[in-house]
Amino acid sequence: MRDRIIEILSGVRADVDFEKETELVSGNILESFDIVDIVAELDDEFDIEIGPKELKAENFDSVEAIEALVERLMGDE
Amino acid sequence: MHSFNKNVLVWLEESASNYPDRTVYEDENEKITFAELENEAKRIGTAVIKAELPDSPIAVMMGRSVHTIAAFLGVVYSGRAYAPIEAKDPLSRREKILANLENPAVITDEETCGELGNGSVNLKAGELLKSEIDEGLLERVRNEMTENDPLYIIYTSGSSGNPKGVITSHRSLICYINSYRDVMDINESDVLASQSQLDYIAAIRDIYLPLLTGAKTFLLPKEYFMQPDVLFESMNRHGVTAAGWSSSAVTVLTKLGAFKDCGLQGFRKLCFSGSVMPGKVLALWQENLPECKFVNQYGPTEATASCTYYEVDHKVTEDEVLPVGRAYDNYRVFLLTEDGKPAADGEMGEICVSGPCVALGYYNDKERTEAAFMQNPLNNAYREIIYKTGDIGRFREDGLLEFHGRSDRQIKHMGHRVELDEIEAAAMEIEGVSECAALYDHEKENIWLLYTGDIASREISLKLREMIPLFMVPRKLKQLEELAKLPNGKTDIKRLEKDTFGGKKK
Repeated sequence: MRDRIIEILSGVRADVDFEKETELVSGNILESFDIVDIVAELDDEFDIEIGPKELKAENFDSVEAIEALVERLMGDE
Repeated sequence: MHSFNKNVLVWLEESASNYPDRTVYEDENEKITFAELENEAKRIGTAVIKAELPDSPIAVMMGRSVHTIAAFLGVVYSGRAYAPIEAKDPLSRREKILANLENPAVITDEETCGELGNGSVNLKAGELLKSEIDEGLLERVRNEMTENDPLYIIYTSGSSGNPKGVITSHRSLICYINSYRDVMDINESDVLASQSQLDYIAAIRDIYLPLLTGAKTFLLPKEYFMQPDVLFESMNRHGVTAAGWSSSAVTVLTKLGAFKDCGLQGFRKLCFSGSVMPGKVLALWQENLPECKFVNQYGPTEATASCTYYEVDHKVTEDEVLPVGRAYDNYRVFLLTEDGKPAADGEMGEICVSGPCVALGYYNDKERTEAAFMQNPLNNAYREIIYKTGDIGRFREDGLLEFHGRSDRQIKHMGHRVELDEIEAAAMEIEGVSECAALYDHEKENIWLLYTGDIASREISLKLREMIPLFMVPRKLKQLEELAKLPNGKTDIKRLEKDTFGGKKK
């Protein structure tokens, strides 16, 4: 899953080294329109629905956080 | 209805006398009252006059703070125009702006003072504020000002790779803010929520409406626009009643699930502008805010952000494209055909504007000024300067104007104006790029860069981030063996668009 998430993230933002970054949102690396694309692609890929409640910096600041979010939402169903 | 006023500082002083202790601006950390704002601005104004600088514009490079606006107004008190600069923009871009301004003095705050390149006089806001107010000196400067004096210079994308500094006078700003106030019905009880960066044209409403009306503006943190629930909760907490936002900010919020589990209370007036508002998005906002007024605004920075407005008077459908409406009060908007004749009824033409809203031109750029601001070709009798927007429009039978795209390669992306040529000019400066073409996928709102050469796309992306503002950096890059060409040798943009994203329409 991690590789697929990194693939999605890199497809949206080729310039970011997602393996390293831990402040993707709180460090203002991702823009609002990046989040729109990332959310849409994660929803499609993993058949989940990332709602507005999940849109917090701590859920998107690193690949690990995103992975945890996806796993949690997949478990909810 | 409007008493004659030739200077925005009169608004500030009248409101400071009517509502001294009321908050005028609030940001994430601080508030400032009308009286405090007047005091800060006058201190800065006095200090700037006493610094005996050349009589030229002063740049302001400060954070998203109430004190930044005080610095803008302080520069105005000094009798000069201010040029807002975003410290987060790449150094090379800021240097181009400072060079166009001929290395002006720059007002900085504690966080941005280290960001200043060499060659400019650094005026620290904290130091300027220590100055005592000299009313006599300020009055002497004021007496020499006229309503045609430049108020601010705001930079916008230029196709040659050099940003253009649009100079707006007190008169133009006063014309627009009065008209906008009437259309949106803004009064002293309103609380505005500001989305725009302070160096960007849309911020002028958030800055000047409170001065005119006694309303208050809350400067929303940028990251709220990717967290609809956080944003709405904050707006509810601050009692926000009105906003002027970019259509793309509204669209992003909607895509991220706005209104799904958190609503807006007391919000009554929304003006959106910058690009075409998708019917689907507006329909959802109308459904969730049945009592809210929605206004579609159209207009370029060169006409003080505005030309026309359309107040939505019905429930829109998903595929509906709204007209851009009718001219604001005190504006003349008309269409010219390619050969400079008036467009016939129902015919397409270039949207042109004249009246007090037309900017003074591009700073230090006679050539580009003369190409865009010119004598009305329909008027041989006296001087009437019009601005040619480069936008194509058509008047409907009911007199409302429709927007029909551009005649050149300028696009609107995330509420900002972007010249695709400027992106290409930047990319061509990067070593390893042989040829390139910037494209825009309107459907997905993505800027693409197709290129040939010996360099990885990630490298280009990183380099571009040091050259042009973030919103201009292409988010999709693709390396090709060669770029498709037209018989005349020019890049075949249509073909590239079709090959890149034309085939997979949703």
